[in-house]
Amino acid sequence: MKLLRADLTALGNLLTHRAGRRVLAGAFVGLALLGMLAWWFAQAIFEHPALLAELRRRSGGEEVHGLLGYGLMACPMVATWLGLAQAQRQLFEAPELLLWRLVPGPSWRGPVQVLVRAGFVTACWAGALAGPFVVAILQQRAAPWWAYGLLPVAIVGATTPLLAVFLAVQIVLMRFFAGRWMRLCSAVVGALASVGFSTWLLLSLLTAPHQRARDVEAIASSPQQLPWTVDVGAELLAAAARGELATQALTALCGWLLATFFAFRLVARLHAGALERHLASEPPLLRTKRRWPEALAAVMRKKELAQLLQQPGAIIGFLVFAVLVFALCKQRVLVAGILTNPYLPAEVAQTAALLALWFIAVLLVLYAHMGRLALWDGAQWSLYMSAPAAPFALLRGKLTAVFLFLLWPLLLVGAAGVGIYEVEPGVLPVFGGIAIGGTFAALGVLAAVGTAPLLMRPDTNGQIQPGGRAFFAALGLVLGFELVVAPAMFGWLFLVDHAQRREDGLPAALAQRWTPWVVAAALLYGAVVLALGCLLGRRNYRRLLTPV
Amino acid sequence: MDAPAIATDKLGRDFSGKWAVRDLELAVQPGEIYGFLGQNGAGKTTTLRMLAGLLKPSAGTLRIAGLTHTGNGRALKQVLGFVPDTPPLYDYLTGRQYVALVASLWHVGRQERDERGDALLERLGLGEHADELCKGYSHGTRKKVHIAAVLATAPRVLLLDEPSSGLDPTSVRALKDLLLAESARGTTILLSTHGLELAEQICHRVGILAGGRIATEGTVAELRQRHGDRSLEDVFLQTTGTPHG
Ligand SMILES: Nc1ncnc2c1ncn2[C@@H]1O[C@H](COP(=O)(O)OP(=O)(O)OP(=O)(O)O)[C@@H](O)[C@H]1O
Ligand SMILES: [Mg+2]
Repeated sequence: MKLLRADLTALGNLLTHRAGRRVLAGAFVGLALLGMLAWWFAQAIFEHPALLAELRRRSGGEEVHGLLGYGLMACPMVATWLGLAQAQRQLFEAPELLLWRLVPGPSWRGPVQVLVRAGFVTACWAGALAGPFVVAILQQRAAPWWAYGLLPVAIVGATTPLLAVFLAVQIVLMRFFAGRWMRLCSAVVGALASVGFSTWLLLSLLTAPHQRARDVEAIASSPQQLPWTVDVGAELLAAAARGELATQALTALCGWLLATFFAFRLVARLHAGALERHLASEPPLLRTKRRWPEALAAVMRKKELAQLLQQPGAIIGFLVFAVLVFALCKQRVLVAGILTNPYLPAEVAQTAALLALWFIAVLLVLYAHMGRLALWDGAQWSLYMSAPAAPFALLRGKLTAVFLFLLWPLLLVGAAGVGIYEVEPGVLPVFGGIAIGGTFAALGVLAAVGTAPLLMRPDTNGQIQPGGRAFFAALGLVLGFELVVAPAMFGWLFLVDHAQRREDGLPAALAQRWTPWVVAAALLYGAVVLALGCLLGRRNYRRLLTPV
Repeated sequence: MDAPAIATDKLGRDFSGKWAVRDLELAVQPGEIYGFLGQNGAGKTTTLRMLAGLLKPSAGTLRIAGLTHTGNGRALKQVLGFVPDTPPLYDYLTGRQYVALVASLWHVGRQERDERGDALLERLGLGEHADELCKGYSHGTRKKVHIAAVLATAPRVLLLDEPSSGLDPTSVRALKDLLLAESARGTTILLSTHGLELAEQICHRVGILAGGRIATEGTVAELRQRHGDRSLEDVFLQTTGTPHG
């Protein structure tokens, strides 16, 4: 109870202190935005009575149950993500663990507190993603007021047990198999979960409502296929929407939660041993002993590369990203229509498809690379500030490193093009040329946004508080990137429109004649955006390096 | 006498209305080792950060080697070295790589940098750890790596915030020897410390900071004389007004 009270007090302190309120506001804005999207989506479904009628027919009158189940499916997603990607740090590396182990009390208390914390965060995320959708359905069905009170029960029921299983499995594995390989495996799994979740989120945000309606139909018309915890929650809420209290579902859910708690308590006893083994196990290591070059920008580039190559987690992230890109290509996300466009020559369609995939891939990593410019060096900022180096030399070194990292998505998509789509030989150089122009443009946006003093200035302890500013930075980055590639999008729309108007589509010879010009234009455009971004970034960097 | 290497005039800094340092008058001569003493929160770190150009003074001016941060910032930084309380190491660089990075930031040539860096790492007993990632370093090792990195830039004015905290006796000895050698070469050194012994042994002059001002300063012998030949500890307690037996 004391640990719980301490956490609640800390949470309360967030409200009463200025810095804390900023963190809370940041988290809240992000979650609220996701919630708003979920709300709009629910409204979009109600605007399609045909879809609802179809659902009713297919589910045998149980469409509310199915819809609620669809909404609650976000819960296990979030639980899997947080359980695999974040829990390891909380279980084995949280600074409070030391204190909790020293406290005279039962040995399961600390790990249970980890579960409580993780459960709370998971419930917040799941609430934001699933809550508005469910509330919209309840509202539409004119549910009684107490039905809304059951929503948290359903959310906790659909997240906590799964989360507990993930935590328990990690404790057991670490207790008996700790070592280099275990560390490597959990890093890989964590990275996969992170990337997987963000892709799921991105895809569900990017997918057009009518496309998503098909998913809704698939899940909602056969509620029997929902995971058990989600199904029970959906049943509870569906009954509540009719004004009935499904006592059986409620007891089942509460019983399940209690059973989770006691089972986790048992496993938690292994935590102390697991922690010891984790601390004793060495992280996998890679390092080079070669001497570094002399020029400062080159040293900075080397430093960024070394930090990546010598950090196993980062390399794993790159590999996992490769898997993800191949999966996206295999699924033909966004490009199925482009590839089968009957009015375009195969080369043009394939180039466009690869470019669309490249765009998604870059969008996925852009935020991560932005951190390299200022955010992640927060603790070292005092070093840069006290160095007599020209700010732009630092920035230039970092930007060249990021440019190299940004070639990774390009290479992957190119390889996927050869391996999966079996593109024509002429396609790759064209794709490469345009995508390099695009990489320049992306780098330009990074240089401008990733150094903006308003978003990136570290405080006196070298920290950049997570939350609000990071959120706006991500938003600015994505919008900025979309803005700079907008001309390409318009060009594409124009091309498709033009091809459709011709009777026999776009002739291949015409396309071939124009190709070199398009590549040159892309490279030139990218270079101009990069130059502008560098100018802004240079000014920003100078300001970031001035004391306040 | 030469112009002081470090000179402040009514230097002050406030944090949302609360003055951490106020009306600070400081003059440190070239080649001198000056020790800052003071209770926790007295303003030592704040002063050092202002001198290092990491924090803008709210009042007053400062000159280091005749230069100011506003006028010729780049030239001033080139001659200045700063060792903060928590060293800003990169977790995923090795100690040797970190030294190379810092020296490059100060425009030290490649060969000079590698030679000097290796010698310093050796001198501070870091030879065998230099090719391990900083992530695994102990507290004291981190500190020593950063000290080696800063000394590799051959600063003319050196600011150190509690350089000896966390160091083992052997390393403290090596540090003292290094600082004395630097001072003999003409480097001006300003350090803050809670170790009165360190202050007595290597500082040419010490100043006791209280409430953001220098309450008293002079050579250790002078201070002790002024307080009736009591120990430096007693002088400290009396000056900072700590109740004691
Ligand atoms: N970033 C900051 N924001 C607000 N107040 C600060 C900040 N930095 C320092 N202070 C305040 O300034 C005063 C002086 O702090 P400083 O860190 O300079 O003390 P110090 O002499 O170095 O102490 P110590 O011996 O504990 O290191 C303290 O009251 C501290 O609370
Ligand atoms: Mg201090």
